[in-house]
Amino acid sequence: MEMVKIFWKANCSKCPAAKDVGNTLKEEGFKVIDYNLDTLDGLAEGAYYSVMATPTLIIEDRDENCIADFRGIIPSAKEIQTLINKNYR
Amino acid sequence: MSTLREFDIETKRVKSDSETTDMALFVRTSKEDLLGWNRMRIVDALVRETYVDIDTAQEISKEVERQIIDSKIAVVTAPLIRELVDAKLIERGLEQARKMHTRLGVPLYDVDQLILHPNKENANVPHSPEATNLTLAEMIKKEYALLNVFSQEIGDAHLRGDIHIHDLGFIDRPYCSGQSLEYIKRFGLSLPNSLSIAKPAKHPEVLLAHMVKFAAALQSHFAGAIGWDAVNLFFAPYLVGLDDAEVRQLAQILIFEFSQQAVARGGQAIFTDINLYWEVPSHFEDVPAIGPGGKYTGKPYGYYQEEAQRFVWFLFDVFKEGDGVGRPFFFPKPLVHITEKFFKTPGHEDFLNHICDVASEKGNTYFVFDRGNTAKISECCRLSFKLEASDLEDAKEPWKMRYTALQNITLNLPRMGYLAKKDDTKLFSNISDFMEMAVQAHMQKKGFIEKLLSLKERGPLALLTMEKDDSPYLRMHRATYLIGMLGLNELVEIHTGEELHHSKKAFKFGLKIIAHMKLLADKFGEKHGMRFVLEQSPAESTSYRFAKLDLRYHSPQSGHIVKGDISKAEVYYTNSTCFTVSSQMNPIERVRKEGLFHPLIEAGALTHIWLGEAKPSKESLANFVIKTFNGTLNDQIAFSPEFTTCISCGKTSRGLSDECNYCGSNEVEGITRITGYFTKTSSWNKGKIGELNDRFRNSGFLNDGDGDVIKLPQKPKN
Ligand SMILES: [Zn+2]
Repeated sequence: MEMVKIFWKANCSKCPAAKDVGNTLKEEGFKVIDYNLDTLDGLAEGAYYSVMATPTLIIEDRDENCIADFRGIIPSAKEIQTLINKNYR
Repeated sequence: MSTLREFDIETKRVKSDSETTDMALFVRTSKEDLLGWNRMRIVDALVRETYVDIDTAQEISKEVERQIIDSKIAVVTAPLIRELVDAKLIERGLEQARKMHTRLGVPLYDVDQLILHPNKENANVPHSPEATNLTLAEMIKKEYALLNVFSQEIGDAHLRGDIHIHDLGFIDRPYCSGQSLEYIKRFGLSLPNSLSIAKPAKHPEVLLAHMVKFAAALQSHFAGAIGWDAVNLFFAPYLVGLDDAEVRQLAQILIFEFSQQAVARGGQAIFTDINLYWEVPSHFEDVPAIGPGGKYTGKPYGYYQEEAQRFVWFLFDVFKEGDGVGRPFFFPKPLVHITEKFFKTPGHEDFLNHICDVASEKGNTYFVFDRGNTAKISECCRLSFKLEASDLEDAKEPWKMRYTALQNITLNLPRMGYLAKKDDTKLFSNISDFMEMAVQAHMQKKGFIEKLLSLKERGPLALLTMEKDDSPYLRMHRATYLIGMLGLNELVEIHTGEELHHSKKAFKFGLKIIAHMKLLADKFGEKHGMRFVLEQSPAESTSYRFAKLDLRYHSPQSGHIVKGDISKAEVYYTNSTCFTVSSQMNPIERVRKEGLFHPLIEAGALTHIWLGEAKPSKESLANFVIKTFNGTLNDQIAFSPEFTTCISCGKTSRGLSDECNYCGSNEVEGITRITGYFTKTSSWNKGKIGELNDRFRNSGFLNDGDGDVIKLPQKPKN
């Protein structure tokens, strides 16, 4: 299944909005994992995706290949849905 | 070397027919004379050096006297008496007193070997009387450090090989240093205890002479590298009005001065880094320039771009030519900073081609990537500092930009793996324990250096306490404490069964380990108010040492893990967080993937691209450099060619071979990068020879497609 990874930091003012997008996607049945960059798992995963800005959203296909990424900007839930659906087809 | 537990073996001369009496017994003392036997000297020493009471001291002295008389030795040495006394202390369970009373020294056999044979611990040390002096002093200071500076627990951890405390033989110095030419431009050269004081230089060649002198003075106060910031820019105000030939000559003198061996401490070349820029770095643009006589020129540094560029261009001309017989210069190491502004500065295409030409031809160029708005100062082969807000404030008065790393400690990552036996919880707790040991060791060294500094101008570190501006030369508040890592690749293999390059899972596990170390370093830093910073250790001899110790303590498992050729004892672990040198990866892929570790390793990191005998075009290297800047987070790259230089005919050819391409002689020397610098391969330790044999040389790849390089938007952290 496609997966959305959201990377955030506690002191980031834009991050709550990114988490809201994540929650909307979750409600619609998408798989969303969020990572706090101040924790071990968050920092390690963030390093793998070269996360240098918060929030960052990474969208992966079912084989864990990156389909799209949003760094320091927040896409709408709709935008992400469209991307995933396009990839699914 | 387990010197801590070695006993001195003294040579005894025993006269068979001697009639030993108290009167005839002489003692060879450490003060180069013969003293008649006097038991009270033992008592005096015990009371002065240890806490034992006078009665015990008396008793011990009598027992030792009896023993010497009974043994019928004609001439006893002071060390022998000391050992006999120490044995008595142990008999009485006075362990601590024995430690305090111990003698530091070197067995005769070791000294003999040392004087006759070259040192293979550090390839930067030539074999000469001055060099053996250095080594002997280091041996004693090393023992001193382990006994008297570090706690028993930390000393043991080092000897066991859980951690490696670098440069123990330089215990009374900080590790490395970075500075600005502005300091000597403004204050001239007046060193403590020096006979004469030089005013600020009026001419460029005098400034250069001051720089060389000061570097030599610093070399004798620091264990490692001496780095200089923005050298071409700070020279620039002195170059106004000089013609090209004069600037070129100055470039030549600078490089030759810093490359000459056997002029300084222990016959070692000064490990010099010169940081260079094509543009005027933004943080210096509006800073008032200091010119001849230490006076402000009335113009900001932004005005001197053209002179700075002329100088740096000629420096690379000289690097390209190489030394008198065309070999690459080993020192100074030129670090060119590639920044956003670099690509906006006119002429950067030509300059990039020029330095890539040198990289391909001789390998000297280091490409340091300062992306976004970070500025960095690089200190030694792997060490750089990102400038913080307070540093950018200091940049307005650049002579204040003086940095130091006080000590460097490397953790044996594979060891943590053997001990954890594939248990995740155990592994992560081992990492914490090892990190904690490193932190303790740093605090102990800090305490010791602070003690020396507190003696101010009467102390051994007088030079570092001089206050020309409002703070001491060594700015302790800005000191960093390095924690390096060795053998991540092998640790991941021990724990998961796969090496870093084998799978995404193994690679991600590697990232998790380094992320854990990074978080711990931050946490300990906050707790102790010190800057603990992860670093890719140069680990020239540590890699070999850890591999050997693990073969001793963790066989048979370690036998399957260590790299190299066990039958020849050419064993090693993979450096820091790198992929194994033998993995055949597309180089841009290696640069990208190794670069994913770099943001976690604050004190600078580096990817090597081994060229072997290949000589790619300057355009393809330039293209590679641009790709690395735009598409990866890699901190620093260097291309390393190999050379064979002939002792018989003096010619140098490309690639490593056993005989000269020109005259066929077998009298040849190989030259390439060992870790962070070029050197002759004949001086390498066995571990590094093992690595050299395994290195995968890239040839013809550099013109390949883009691989899976991703384009990253360069945004500062939120
Ligand atoms: Zn020859």
